[in-house]
Amino acid sequence: MVGAGAVVAGCASEPAGGKGWMPNQYNVAANWPVQVKGRVPIDSSNPAIDRDDTKCILCGQCLEVCKNVVSVYGYYELPIQNDITCIHCGQCTMWCPTGAITERNEIKKVQAALASADQHVIVQTAPAIRVALGEEFNLPPGSLVQGQQVTALKKAGFDAVFDTSWSADLTIMEEASELIKRLTTGKALPHFTSCCPGWVKFAEYFYADLQPHLSSCKSPQQMLGAVAKSYYAKEKGIAPEQIFSVAVMPCTAKKFECQRPEMNAAGILRGNPAIRDVDVVLTTRELANLLKSNGIDLSRLVDTPYDSVLGESTGAGVIFGATGGVTEAAVRTAYYLVTRQDPPAALLQWENVRGLKGVKEASVELPGVGTVKVAVCHGLRDARVVLEKVRKQQSDWHFIEFMACPGGCIGGGGQPRTSLPPSDEVRKARMANLYKLDGTAVKRASYQNKEVMDLYQKFLHAPLSEESESLLHTHYVDRSHQLKPKEKV
Amino acid sequence: MSKGVLVDITKCIGCGSCTVACKMWNKLEYDQNVSSIGETAKLNDKNWTVVTRTSAQDSKGQAVWRFAKQQCMHCLEPACASACFSRALQRNADGAVEYYPDLCVGCRYCMIACPFDVPKYEWSKAAPLITKCQLCSTRVAKGEAPACVAVCPTGVMKFGDRQELLQEAHQLIRREDLYLKTVYGEKEVGGTCWLYISDIPFDQLGFKSGLGSVALPSYTHSFLKNVPIIALGWGVLLTGMSFYARRRNELAKARQERLAGKNGEGDADADDFDEEA
Ligand code: SF4
Ligand code: SF4
Ligand code: SF4
Ligand code: SF4
Ligand code: SF4
Repeated sequence: MVGAGAVVAGCASEPAGGKGWMPNQYNVAANWPVQVKGRVPIDSSNPAIDRDDTKCILCGQCLEVCKNVVSVYGYYELPIQNDITCIHCGQCTMWCPTGAITERNEIKKVQAALASADQHVIVQTAPAIRVALGEEFNLPPGSLVQGQQVTALKKAGFDAVFDTSWSADLTIMEEASELIKRLTTGKALPHFTSCCPGWVKFAEYFYADLQPHLSSCKSPQQMLGAVAKSYYAKEKGIAPEQIFSVAVMPCTAKKFECQRPEMNAAGILRGNPAIRDVDVVLTTRELANLLKSNGIDLSRLVDTPYDSVLGESTGAGVIFGATGGVTEAAVRTAYYLVTRQDPPAALLQWENVRGLKGVKEASVELPGVGTVKVAVCHGLRDARVVLEKVRKQQSDWHFIEFMACPGGCIGGGGQPRTSLPPSDEVRKARMANLYKLDGTAVKRASYQNKEVMDLYQKFLHAPLSEESESLLHTHYVDRSHQLKPKEKV
Repeated sequence: MSKGVLVDITKCIGCGSCTVACKMWNKLEYDQNVSSIGETAKLNDKNWTVVTRTSAQDSKGQAVWRFAKQQCMHCLEPACASACFSRALQRNADGAVEYYPDLCVGCRYCMIACPFDVPKYEWSKAAPLITKCQLCSTRVAKGEAPACVAVCPTGVMKFGDRQELLQEAHQLIRREDLYLKTVYGEKEVGGTCWLYISDIPFDQLGFKSGLGSVALPSYTHSFLKNVPIIALGWGVLLTGMSFYARRRNELAKARQERLAGKNGEGDADADDFDEEA
């Protein structure tokens, strides 16, 4: 113990405190800088992530990723306004070494719904779950467990198991139609994708001026949610009020997305706006915990197909889970929509938009429309470069795909922590198996999805119809007043 | 020369790193019921420092959130120390007002005397002690910044020589329109080691106002005379040396057990404040 002990009545004493420890970088004389320090701020009302302070060791990793990969922390001026800026991507949950930061755990809500007799509990699983969930059960990174996860969910008690790849195909029908409209009218180009809720919130904060570029399409999760409590409810003769809709996502931002006030399209259609399109989002990790707590070992199960009428998918819907996948899927269908012919083989294996390069660029000839130039960004720090070009009107892209997480959804903030911090090796393994699934699929493009076509025929009529607009499209919020973006970082 | 910490309220993002640092360095428990960050955060025997959140309006009328880190102010003339007849609270050469548990008789005069309501009592323990921020005196003695200061990612807090920090604060508030033209802690109760600058009036952020610039120790005596019930209740009890002796014994025993626990069972993780005599 350093410092003078007090001497009173002949008895040496020492002051309170200082009996603990601090990580080594902090134990230097005050005049030296400390490079990595502190942690990200997390609002106690954050719908996506949560932190257990008792586990935090102030290692600074969350701050590193939030700043250097996500480009949120440190990208706004101080003092702050009335918001703790967070896009809910959950990358900090992937980096935190002690597991102090996690998704906001909502397993109990799902367990309660499963236990209740009068609820019809449905679940959808995102494209990226099928190549990651197995890792939680000791299978090698990227193992494909699509059929086994359906079996597992049925065993856990879900009444119907649907595929978000189905609604990815639906998203593509809407989004490709929207893109063609923009290409032919020349309006609001480049077209920005809108399926990643982390990216959407990022755009609402930092690039609100570019909002007209954002596609009005909801994400596949929200499309399936809206369709399940309207079309599916009608087909099955179940009251929408009785349906409890769960989504298993590789993503924490999806928890935020399903709670956005405007995500109640089926409820509005029903005349009961209190109904949420999606009730609860579980991450891949939460699903693994739920299965483990039920003693269900995924790796030992046989395959089961997804349930009709929201269960069929094409290769295009599956590759949504990887960076570049949305672009490739959209172009396959856009090609068909303008030519009424199947896309050429090159568009079924579009290498230029695949892989882990931060910003990918490519172009494609759409007969009758002309050359379409695309860019693909994943990891928002890289995206800023592209966005600045668009802002300064120095870009000639027509279509830009944005994903908040490196690698796209397969590298999402809700995925298994198979390597720490997340590694390209694991990302590549997951991507490889999504593309393999696409490569071996009979149907490779969204317009070939029969269950999606049935939906149009029976319920929505056509892409961008009035019915489709009200259920499948959305609007955005201007959050630019909630922060002052830094001019220069 | 007194050390000090200059806090720039406008830079705080409410991350709570400082509160965690204080827990880690001082081996403090987390209070399951009383948070150390946010709207309901409160100082108590486990929370030596807290970061409170307040909704306010900035000068342009825009709704804003501001965070205020609270802890012992480390008064230049600490009322707590002059109220303590057993010298359990002492101001050291760096300006830290340190608490010596072994000297404390548990009278809690310091709690009554402190103008900032800082010292807290371990009500739930069998041999309760007073607790409060120590300005990380053992780190400061080594030339290190207090733990909370060291970890702050946005540089809200600056540790240094109080006089220099005061000058710096005045330069800043003169130069930048953002700030109110006052340094909290410069004059309050004769001055404190912790100094604050802000863009939102301090009273709105929960800082005590109207404290005056006269050091409280000069009032302490008459102040204590004005609380006869407590003075009588405790005064009578404590002048009885039997209690004093018993308490010293209890604390000595607790300390012995702590040491024995560490050496004997190698239980280095035992929380010093957890163990009861
Ligand atoms: S969720 Fe994403 S944006 Fe929010 S703190 Fe974590 S890394 Fe940053
Ligand atoms: S990564 Fe986790 S342990 Fe490290 S500072 Fe952030 S919350 Fe704390
Ligand atoms: S703030 Fe209170 S406890 Fe701290 S030194 Fe001043 S009088 Fe003592
Ligand atoms: S100076 Fe040390 S004891 Fe005081 S609040 Fe900061 S970390 Fe806690
Ligand atoms: S560490 Fe700094 S920014 Fe974080 S709460 Fe404490 S004073 Fe504020």
